[in-house]
Amino acid sequence: MDPVQGKDPGKSTFAEYDYSNFYYGAGDDPLNLLGPFSDWWREARPNGYYLYSEALQSAPATRVQVRNGKTGRVQELINLASYNYLGISYRPEVKQAAIDATNLYGLGASGSPILSGTLEVHRQLAREMAEFKDKEAAILFPTGYSANVGFIAALMRSGDYIILDQYSHASIVDGAILAKSNTLWFRHNNPLDLERKLNKAKGKKLVVVEGVYSMDGDVCVLPEIVEVAKRHGARILIDEAHSTFLFGPNGRGVAEHFGLDNEVDFHLGTFSKSLGGQGGFVCGSRDLIDYVNAFGRSRFFSCNLAPPVAAGLLAGLRIAAAEPELRTKLWSNVAYLRRRFAEEGVDIGKSTSQVMPVMVNNDARVFAVAEKIQDRGLFLQPVTYPAVPKHKSRLRVSVSAAHTEEDLETAVHVVAGVLREEGIIR
Amino acid sequence: MKTVYGYADVISGFFEFPTENARRILPPHLQPAELHHGTSIFSMTCFDFDRSSVGPYGEVVMSVVVAPIVKPGERLPKFALYPYMVGTTTRAAREHAIERWHLPHWMEDVGIEWVRDERTLGAKVTLDGTPLAELTIGEHSWQPVEQLYQSFMKDESGAYQANIVMEGEQSEHEEETGRLVLHDHPFNRVLQIGDVAEAPFREIWMRRGIQTFDPLLTLQTA
Repeated sequence: MDPVQGKDPGKSTFAEYDYSNFYYGAGDDPLNLLGPFSDWWREARPNGYYLYSEALQSAPATRVQVRNGKTGRVQELINLASYNYLGISYRPEVKQAAIDATNLYGLGASGSPILSGTLEVHRQLAREMAEFKDKEAAILFPTGYSANVGFIAALMRSGDYIILDQYSHASIVDGAILAKSNTLWFRHNNPLDLERKLNKAKGKKLVVVEGVYSMDGDVCVLPEIVEVAKRHGARILIDEAHSTFLFGPNGRGVAEHFGLDNEVDFHLGTFSKSLGGQGGFVCGSRDLIDYVNAFGRSRFFSCNLAPPVAAGLLAGLRIAAAEPELRTKLWSNVAYLRRRFAEEGVDIGKSTSQVMPVMVNNDARVFAVAEKIQDRGLFLQPVTYPAVPKHKSRLRVSVSAAHTEEDLETAVHVVAGVLREEGIIR
Repeated sequence: MKTVYGYADVISGFFEFPTENARRILPPHLQPAELHHGTSIFSMTCFDFDRSSVGPYGEVVMSVVVAPIVKPGERLPKFALYPYMVGTTTRAAREHAIERWHLPHWMEDVGIEWVRDERTLGAKVTLDGTPLAELTIGEHSWQPVEQLYQSFMKDESGAYQANIVMEGEQSEHEEETGRLVLHDHPFNRVLQIGDVAEAPFREIWMRRGIQTFDPLLTLQTA
């Protein structure tokens, strides 16, 4: 059945709808939305949505083997889509650490961290993570998502106020929902609007920001945010998912970059971005970590990180701490790509980080642009509404320290060439 | 039988406002569509109808965006609205809409002054010269569209659903170029005005099109 039954037969309708149209549906059966969604998906997938979740046949390194979601053909592509900002996850010492841990512990932790699932490698990883962040203690979560959900819900309660940047990650949003607190949203990176929202909040208040915003690659205006939040007696949580190991003199993140490490109350991050692994963490005082250990339900009721992953992360953390030249190389690559994109007239929005949105600004054509770019050798996904605002569609580039100048130059040629052919840039 | 209205321009702004305010407006059988947890969507729409069975007229519709009714085999709506206050520039239009669509009205004629700028269209709604609301919408790229919406109504006689197809040229965007000014007046009494965002997160402008109503569906009788 066509979701827009009654229109001209054979007329393409997938572009008229997006995921947001299939979320709400009143009626007498929760399955009522499945039919219209399936009808739409059957048309949307071959028209570009197949570009999501294409299966990699190799490590998420700077070159990847990818099975094309439409043709089934395996292509070798330059990878500009994976996080792995420091190119660590496939380093020999990381893989060896995971192998050794598999030999020692086997596959899984076989238990919750608060019962039988804490292994020595977990304790060591938490200890060294706390040292890296220069905090008293750290606590591990199975994913970055569960870190935000578990931490926010561990701390905040019904009747409290959580004030979020409008571009907050879904895990922060879901944490606020789970906390059942009053949730207020301030305009993205706008301290004036934060102040307006804080004026409406009473009692316990938590302001949540991200170090680097994942769809735009812009950096939090932390000094202004901290000033406003402090004046209103609000606590501050910073999610440094895309900035830990990258920003600041010691790589601790955006809070360190601004010299505000001790002004921010709660430091959260993931191991899946810069280290290219899996898992999340919160760093802070011993008292804080003990409390979160007791009330962080997303961790409490999950199996602990698989030991090979924890061991690989520990090896990766040691590399990130011992090799600051990786950060230097990353920022050199970022500067190179920024300069070359600017020379070619490619719009990367307000990005000042390793995350660069290549703005297409045309929801109807972003998939065609992305298909062409993949056909010409780049692994790079489109991002469109509702993940970003309407007509703010883009291709999200992730720069890695492991990229060579040749990789980046090829990327510039392909991206600028396709955007020019499609009339997106001149 | 379908009812057709022709319009020169229609502008709609969609604004964040608290879900607790939305729930105070909605009848129990309707659920607000939330933009974020705790944040629902208030919509103001102004019509410049140039063809109808009751002649040309202007109309302002204040609504809450709600979950649409989805049924297997039926066309999927783009979204659904619960109009809780409608103002018209003529008595004939008002009587027609009350009788046929059970739409709740302000029972005096309102004035709608259209303010056209290079890339914006605004509507200033007044009552005997007293300002009620002002909506400004910015222009983006234009596309021909034909889209289905649902409108839900409730009065002392029952609960109703209207399926409405909007055809015409459409400019839709989220550039936050528009503006809303709500004045402290009984017309806006159900809104906590200070809690309604002043900038629309979405702006829709349609022009040179038709609005077609399917026959009214009765969901529940009193």
